[in-house]
Amino acid sequence: MPRTILAAVVGLVLLSIPTIMVATWVSGAKARLAQSESAPVDASQRVAVAAAADEGYCNGDLRRVLRRVLQSCGLLGSGAGVRGCQPVEARNVATMSGDDFNALFNPLAQRAGIIEFERDGSTLDQSDRDLISRLFAEQRGASYFFVVSRASPEGNVEHNRDLSRARAEAVMSHLRTFNDPDLDREVGLLWLGEEFAQLNTQFCSWQRSGTGECTPDDINRSAFIAWIDCTL
Amino acid sequence: MKTRATGLIVVLVGAALGMFFASFSTYDFAEHLDRQTHDLHCSFIPGIAGRPEAAGTGCHVTLMSPYSSVMRSSVWGGVPVSMPAMSVFAFIAFWAIYLMITKRNGDRRGTMFLLLATALPLITSLVMGFISFTKLGAACKLCIGIYVSSLVVFVGAMMARSASAKLQAARGTGGPADETVPADVYDPRMDKPISFPALAGAFVLGIAFVFVPVVVYASTLPNYERYIGQCGALEHQGDPQGIMVSIDPGSPGATEAIEVLDPLCPSCKAFEQRLQASGLAPRLSRKAVLFPLDNTCNWMLSRAEHPGACTVSEAVLCAGDNAREVLDWAFAEQDRIREAASHDPAAATRLVRERFPQLSSCIGTAAIRNKLSRSLRWAVNNHLQVLTPQLFVGGVKLCDEDSDLGMDYALSHMLERRGGAR
Repeated sequence: MPRTILAAVVGLVLLSIPTIMVATWVSGAKARLAQSESAPVDASQRVAVAAAADEGYCNGDLRRVLRRVLQSCGLLGSGAGVRGCQPVEARNVATMSGDDFNALFNPLAQRAGIIEFERDGSTLDQSDRDLISRLFAEQRGASYFFVVSRASPEGNVEHNRDLSRARAEAVMSHLRTFNDPDLDREVGLLWLGEEFAQLNTQFCSWQRSGTGECTPDDINRSAFIAWIDCTL
Repeated sequence: MKTRATGLIVVLVGAALGMFFASFSTYDFAEHLDRQTHDLHCSFIPGIAGRPEAAGTGCHVTLMSPYSSVMRSSVWGGVPVSMPAMSVFAFIAFWAIYLMITKRNGDRRGTMFLLLATALPLITSLVMGFISFTKLGAACKLCIGIYVSSLVVFVGAMMARSASAKLQAARGTGGPADETVPADVYDPRMDKPISFPALAGAFVLGIAFVFVPVVVYASTLPNYERYIGQCGALEHQGDPQGIMVSIDPGSPGATEAIEVLDPLCPSCKAFEQRLQASGLAPRLSRKAVLFPLDNTCNWMLSRAEHPGACTVSEAVLCAGDNAREVLDWAFAEQDRIREAASHDPAAATRLVRERFPQLSSCIGTAAIRNKLSRSLRWAVNNHLQVLTPQLFVGGVKLCDEDSDLGMDYALSHMLERRGGAR
């Protein structure tokens, strides 16, 4: 019966249309999939990978200081168990003038704080602890927390070195109250005696724990603290 | 001239239209089988009007929804529902042509069969349309094209059925069948109605129309199983800093999973909806790591992709055991929060405090900001991509390419490999 045959042919054609279309599309997708596997990845299409902050101020000198402090103080490399740099090592850490050394930290004006101590003292008061807590909480992408303690030139050199160290350790003791398991990998201590990198009064305008007068002696009875947004 | 074939011609036109729209819809779906993202033919005149951007359109929402395909756990992406639609319209076209060629347009059984066949796409369209508007809140132009086509074929079939009934009634009374019926359209020699076995054969043929393309589709798909588990793993799954929040404990024995998410990220919301719809969520015990794509707290971005996300993330962390409640609210309100925060940085804080006053004393504190920083640093330590959402099942990453259409398939296989709760 020709009409039935004609209808069968139409049926076959109509059955074939979706079948062939589907087979073609799947085959095309398969080919593209194979092609995408063999093609080199376009760098512009690559998704960024999460990384610690590395700000523009992280110049060579700052990185060098950072690396030397971290290595000398046992945070990096083989010096496990050592915490903080001895004053005599400070000269090796920063092979530059005190002013140049301090200038490295100028870009941290908004990130840093200066913990001011009493004359001949290394005890933190409430305002000191508050400033440390607030700044330490603002880690964001920073990898390292620097504590650079100082002593003013009053008194003898040996005593001031011990005082400087005690101030750094006082800050560290307070940081330990945060129970941060990464603390020992993050914090770098550098205690400077009276003979190196004294701060000038321009630093009086930075965040300070003290609210009173800010003389050169006051600003150097201190610990400079800041998260450093640099990677090594 | 109006003839007895008018209804069949309407059916034919509707079936052709239905095939046209269903084909473009299936094509769009099939393009994604290469695991990449593609634009869609979101138009009433697909192939002619330009392609819009894929994301955010009603077509995109519909395509990525769990209702766009079936058998998603066993076939990557599932079998698109538009593919059987193509076949059904093809079969309806075939049956209408058959009735015309064999001059059986006056056959009551033949036209009744046609009417029943056209009821299938009509009922399906009603159901899918209901889902689109009530559950997805999105209208897909191609889908609307299919709905209209379904209505056209049904109306045409009713016309054909009505015409055949009239013809039979007239002939039963011995009167003229219809003076307007030309001889080439109705052949009295075909008076004998189609037999029931023949109709059963047609029914089987209709099933073949649907199943042949489906079988061809499923049997020619690439082997997707080899990609599962090949997209990396967490280097440090632990949470020593307590930055993770439980967002879904799952059922007893559920597999541990970590989801890196941004509460104001539309993709995270869509992923959550797909996960819930897939039925796989109870098999996962999910913890979230907050990763707001907002440069207010996230130093990895130069601008806020999702303004307000840092504040809302803080709220999620502050909520602790009630994190899920905050997250659900954020997903529901994310457009409003983002919009408000883009104009006023303090708006997100205000909105969160209005909704969750009990969290007011926590949001913005040094402690919670530090916790959020540590959450971001957890991502750094694991060298994760700056991307949300990311799901890690037992520490193994669900590939980003498998996080939408292929999610059910990939996740089911990952869970099976781990032997988690079922």
